[in-house]
Amino acid sequence: MEQLKRILRASVVLAAALGIAASAQAEEGVTDTTIKIGTMGALTGPLAGIIVPQFNGIEIVFEEANAAGGIHGRKIVFVREDDECLPSKGVGAVKKLLYEARPFMIVGGGCSNAAIAQKPEIVAAKVPWVVTAATADALSEPVDPYVYTTMSAAWTEVYGMLQLALDEKKSRIAVVWQPDAWGKARIEPLKEALKKKGVTAIAIEEVAVEPTDLTPTALKLKALNPDAVLMLLYPKAAVPFLRDSMKVGLQPLAIGGSPLVEIDQMAKGAGSVEAVKNVRVIAAAGFGVDDPQVAKWKEKIEKRFGDRFNLYHMFGIAGGQFVVEALKRAGRDLTRERILAVMSTMQMSSDAYAGPLKCTPADHQCHKTLGIFALKDGRVSGVGSTTPTR
Amino acid sequence: MLLAYVIATGITTGALYALVAVGLVICYRTTGHINFSHGELFMVGGFLAFTLHVLLGVPYVPSLVLAVLGGGLLGLLSDRLVYRPLISAPATAMVVATVALSFVLRGVARYLWGGQGEYVPFPPIADPSAVMIGPIAVFPQQLVVVASTVLCMALVTLFFRLTRTGKTMKAVAESPRAAYLVGIRVERVYAMTWSLSAALAAVSAVFMAPLTQLTPDIGFGLLLKAFAATILGGLGNMPGAVVGGFVVGIAEAFAAGYISSSVQEVMAFIIIMLVLVLRPTGLFGVKAAREV
Repeated sequence: MEQLKRILRASVVLAAALGIAASAQAEEGVTDTTIKIGTMGALTGPLAGIIVPQFNGIEIVFEEANAAGGIHGRKIVFVREDDECLPSKGVGAVKKLLYEARPFMIVGGGCSNAAIAQKPEIVAAKVPWVVTAATADALSEPVDPYVYTTMSAAWTEVYGMLQLALDEKKSRIAVVWQPDAWGKARIEPLKEALKKKGVTAIAIEEVAVEPTDLTPTALKLKALNPDAVLMLLYPKAAVPFLRDSMKVGLQPLAIGGSPLVEIDQMAKGAGSVEAVKNVRVIAAAGFGVDDPQVAKWKEKIEKRFGDRFNLYHMFGIAGGQFVVEALKRAGRDLTRERILAVMSTMQMSSDAYAGPLKCTPADHQCHKTLGIFALKDGRVSGVGSTTPTR
Repeated sequence: MLLAYVIATGITTGALYALVAVGLVICYRTTGHINFSHGELFMVGGFLAFTLHVLLGVPYVPSLVLAVLGGGLLGLLSDRLVYRPLISAPATAMVVATVALSFVLRGVARYLWGGQGEYVPFPPIADPSAVMIGPIAVFPQQLVVVASTVLCMALVTLFFRLTRTGKTMKAVAESPRAAYLVGIRVERVYAMTWSLSAALAAVSAVFMAPLTQLTPDIGFGLLLKAFAATILGGLGNMPGAVVGGFVVGIAEAFAAGYISSSVQEVMAFIIIMLVLVLRPTGLFGVKAAREV
């Protein structure tokens, strides 16, 4: 009898211990003191220069939250996995992240190509994913219960660029684009936008991703006399285009997207402020790098990581703030189901964006207010904002 | 007007390719190997100059000199660590080694300069305003590249013709074994060759960086263009490489101006294919001479 009592007592203690352990391990990636959040992107390779700053932006927000005592007593543990932004490496990297690191959720995904390849794995694992920089529409359309994005989708920027040209009463619109995955993700939505607005582009010129000289392209466009050029380009192509356009006397309104927001750097690359005097940039970020609104983050980033603060940090900061806020709202009893429910109706402001981050159950593209930038007195300055619609 | 601009653009871009191609040729002539890390040596030279001139505020000329010295030292270091241990290995081993070195240099550059952003603007040496030459506008920096190509060509030619070191390099190029038998220290000549080639890459980078921008990944694209130029001119032929550089540049400009901008970037590949099929020895090929 006494032995039976001892067994019963031991069983009760064991059950209680298991119960406590089970409650502490209620959700994968969550312990009593930590929340593990994973990310994947190019930590090495040609695109590391634009992806690592995003991760640094996310991490600085997490570190701030941790320094303030964590989220409901839990510190965020941020795990980075390298996929070089390659679809071929991306699937392996995200599997490693999902099944070895076992994070509570994923925040990141810097490149559309890799992110598109990774999406089925993440969705199959039922892990919440907040995309912070990849822009392909296919990531967030149609709506998937596990995928949200705090980055403006590809269509948003191109519709915004066209709208800005039309608002400026421009009618002879030319397009210059680079034929890589990033450019391809935009040229089709832009053609769709042109069609919807009843505009026929006077030229759609494809240029190399890393050209040395674009004088012939500039001359061909000049002959067509455009009053606006929409640039679906990264700086490596935009700088020679603007430089050589100035050389041949072609300086219409030139509208670019997020990658061109460092207009001051482009002026240095082109060797002259004159080359960028008519440049306007529609960008996901809401503020210039020298704007007082982001001064706190600039100082923190430069001190912590030694980076030159840029737009990509802002993408990360906004994504990080979105996640921290969602975790706060989800409460101490954190589950994936709960945070997905919170994010589905999330509305908040970010320090790095011009407008609110607003998600609905039917729309997980949570960022649609884009900043408009120009170079003023040698500084990249916000000159407005726009919320494009289709 | 378009034709004039296309030719001018082709010449200035071609000068850029020619300058890189000359470094490739020097290496090939003396060692018999194509240095597939030449583009990365160019890139490192550019970043050295950027660090000195832009980040540390060193005046331009001392930055140029120090970057060239740095490039030369990197060439020497590469010789000691990579090339010399493989001196007797099959040619394919050297191909793999130089490709591997290119990846290493790229990785190091990303680590050291990656935080500067996606690309690094390098201020032009000359006034950035375009100047008119007849009916066409040209940037003074483009003229600097053309002039520096001509100057480098002249200096390299004089180096090979007039200096003892240059002559020993030529002797080694003709027959390493014969050179060894007459007392030339072939290994030392190889080291000097790698170093000279790397220093020349650094010179090219300093002059060209204001036109091309700097990124840790700039080397491969330029190597391809320069390689097309050397193939076209005839592997190992220096004047051929210069002519090849100009032809590639002009062909690209014509493609962009008269066919489509999208064809511009593939012209180098088209040239490589055409030359390999139609005239494998290139315009001024020296392959037969080396085989004697």
